Amino acid sequence: MSKKILVIDDDPNILDYLSALFTDNGYDTQVAHNAAKGLEKARRFLPDLITLDIEMPGEWGPRFYRQMMQVKELKNTPVIVISGLSGNEHAIPKAIAAVKKPFDREELLRIVKEAIG
Amino acid sequence: MAETVLLMDSDREHGEAIRTYLQRHQYDVTVAGDAQEILERLEDQKWNILLGDPMIDEAAAAGRIADLLKENATTQLIVFGTRDHVDRAMDLFAMDAVAYLDLPINSKALMLDMARARNHSLKNRKICRYVQRLTDLHTARNHFLQLFDSVPCFISVQDRNLRITAINKWFKQHFGNYVGGYCYQIYKHRSSPCENCPVIQTFEDGRVHSTEEVVTALSGRQYHVLTYTAPIMDEKDEITQVMEISTNITQIRQLQNHLTSLGLMLGSMSHGVKGMLTALDGGIYQLETGLKKQDEARVSGAFEQVKLMTDKIRDMVLEILNYARSRQMQYAPVPVVEIVEHVMKSVRPAASKNNVLCEVFLPDSPGIMEIDSVWMESALVNFLENAVDACAYDHEKSVHRVSLTVTIEPEEIICFCIQDNGIGMDQETREKMFTLFFTSKGSRGTGLGLFIAHRVIQQHGGTVHVTSALNQGTELTIRLPRKPPGSVCENGVSPLTP
Repeated sequence: MSKKILVIDDDPNILDYLSALFTDNGYDTQVAHNAAKGLEKARRFLPDLITLDIEMPGEWGPRFYRQMMQVKELKNTPVIVISGLSGNEHAIPKAIAAVKKPFDREELLRIVKEAIG
Repeated sequence: MAETVLLMDSDREHGEAIRTYLQRHQYDVTVAGDAQEILERLEDQKWNILLGDPMIDEAAAAGRIADLLKENATTQLIVFGTRDHVDRAMDLFAMDAVAYLDLPINSKALMLDMARARNHSLKNRKICRYVQRLTDLHTARNHFLQLFDSVPCFISVQDRNLRITAINKWFKQHFGNYVGGYCYQIYKHRSSPCENCPVIQTFEDGRVHSTEEVVTALSGRQYHVLTYTAPIMDEKDEITQVMEISTNITQIRQLQNHLTSLGLMLGSMSHGVKGMLTALDGGIYQLETGLKKQDEARVSGAFEQVKLMTDKIRDMVLEILNYARSRQMQYAPVPVVEIVEHVMKSVRPAASKNNVLCEVFLPDSPGIMEIDSVWMESALVNFLENAVDACAYDHEKSVHRVSLTVTIEPEEIICFCIQDNGIGMDQETREKMFTLFFTSKGSRGTGLGLFIAHRVIQQHGGTVHVTSALNQGTELTIRLPRKPPGSVCENGVSPLTP
């Protein structure tokens, strides 16, 4: 059975990109364009990994992470931060990786594979 | 030191007798027996007292003696001789001689006259020294005054009450001749001293202090000045006054502001650029994989995305380049009603969150105006948001309102009047409110918003007039021409210098 990835980003172009990239590489992928939708989808979809943008309108990545940690089924889900913000590696200290936009897609896939296979 | 006496006497024996008598009374006497010798001795040295007959040898030395008395006030003359010589000497020297004695000389009278001559000589020497000192002082004073006036700085001297006691020419030219006025009134139109006043600090510790300030000149122009203060001490080393020297650094600040704002803009844009580059990467990826998979829909979608992202990146790069060179406004005709609708749509959520009532008053058919709608609407939103903030910070009134009133004035001027009943501003805040990085909101403000908004209005050929009263509210009147000067309607592009 395919591993599941949830992509959370406010930019629809990046959602399309990551969705295509992960799907093409055999992952079952779903997307959310804001943190509230992301939390809702994560509860239902129970992803094996979440990629998370930091700066989104009306929501802030770290806050989503704190809310996610309060959901029993999600508290062990690994998170990769993908953001153009300087210092994004400090935004969520427990994230398994912080990837800067624009990113190297092979490098991203390698991180994902290491995390969930 | 003994007084030097040149004794002029053709009778050698008589001369020697007087010399012996005077030397006993501590005078340093030299005898000259004829006019030739007198002239030689006069050339040799300066004498305190000339005693004797200046008319010997047919008055050959008398002319030189008369000149000497005029040239040198410290040399005194006592005349004795035959009645005929004394008479002629009186005619020649008159009041220039201390005394005229007949022969035979009365020794008491001689000693009294010698003492008088010595006193005159001493007094005159003192006077000469004072005169020299006064001349030196006068020269130095003129020199310092010239320096004080010519230094290209605003210099003022202030007393302990910060009252100005002296100013230089530059100060006078730019701030007026306000000797007697208070520094904070003249520079800043304040009613009380500024916080951290460097003049007060110098009065307290006697050290040099510096500060950077924004001051308002007579013309209404604002100058950025770098100010240094230095103590002025009296003879007891007590600080009586403080000198304040301010250098106008406005041009340097303007250049720094331009570079800083360019840096800030690049910084704020870099996040957007990174997102666009990622989306461009995504488009390329989908294009590659679509071609591999022969998925026509994916290829077509990817091509559109690549095209869109390329356009966006190009526009952003051009915007940065235009900003660095000169701002380019994209003028287009926009209905005034539409501008107001867009602006109020942006402001209402913040107003409602802060319980501020928003009112709009529009005339019938306000028509169309030419603006760069992106810049102009963000400027108007900025002014209105500041009005909402001014209400939010006010805890005195129970009801707060912000109104936007549009009127059409003669000569096709569109007037946007923004009124609020918030905390209002003092004169100093009002004068500085459009200065880059000036904020009255502490850490809540950046000092950028009103600076940019004001520049946008200026670039549209408009003006902003502000009236405000503390704890009562503020009224901003923005007057804009219906068509900005120099706008080119056909292609909607008009370069305007900042």
